[in-house]
Amino acid sequence: MTNQEKLTQAFCDALGIGPDQVKDDLQYNTIKEWDSTAHMVLISELENTFDVMLDTDDIIDMSSVAKAKEILAKYDVSF
Amino acid sequence: MVKVTGTLPQLTISGYQVSLEPLHENDIMQLRAWRNSEFVRHKMLSSDTITELQQRNWFSKIQNDPQQCHWVVRYKGAAIGTTNIKVPSDSSATSVSVAKALEPGLYIGEPTYQGNIIAFAPTLALYDYCFDYLNINTLQATVKADNRSALNYNEKLGYETVSRSDDGCWVTLCITKARYEEATTMIKRFLSR
Repeated sequence: MTNQEKLTQAFCDALGIGPDQVKDDLQYNTIKEWDSTAHMVLISELENTFDVMLDTDDIIDMSSVAKAKEILAKYDVSF
Repeated sequence: MVKVTGTLPQLTISGYQVSLEPLHENDIMQLRAWRNSEFVRHKMLSSDTITELQQRNWFSKIQNDPQQCHWVVRYKGAAIGTTNIKVPSDSSATSVSVAKALEPGLYIGEPTYQGNIIAFAPTLALYDYCFDYLNINTLQATVKADNRSALNYNEKLGYETVSRSDDGCWVTLCITKARYEEATTMIKRFLSR
């Protein structure tokens, strides 16, 4: 599985959405499935998937799929 | 668990990456600016804008009122909002320190932190203090029925709807310590890292 596939799977599992919805421009709080509670589930899923521990500022900053990739890149996860 | 220093009303509560510091006169114009912002004022009981004189009068009044206590919320040293507790109007308690039920209030003024996980931090710190130090039984909140974001926020904290106003415009919510602890396990874990 590539990191892109892992990322898509993490979003699908955490938010309960289909892979077709996981596009770079998908943003936090723009769909009912991605609210503040789901965001925490998503962070857990991403941390487990990529074996990282995100800083609080990065959790706040993770406002879209594209931003998630950008932040994970800081933790040496490449896409 | 939160760290508490000082005594009411000059009490500081620290935990979940924020500190709640006693409100001082040099904070009140920042509060007024936040309170008058579009984002905040339309979610308040009154959406009228507050004048400088009204703000100063309000501050003078709360200084000598044991039935309410106000704090400035700081994250990484910067003020981001304000929170408070009040004795409910139907209570006979003479001060927040003897009340068995309290009404909390909060708004995050800094747009960066509105609607994200940090917005929960001052609430967790305040509620831990109310339940663990003041030993209250319940917290209650009155919210505009169309304020979906506030209702969702309160639901995530464990609040339950207990009544609606006759005109349907207002909803009263309550929370016990047990429901609060059950509902906030995950949020606390994230904010305790």
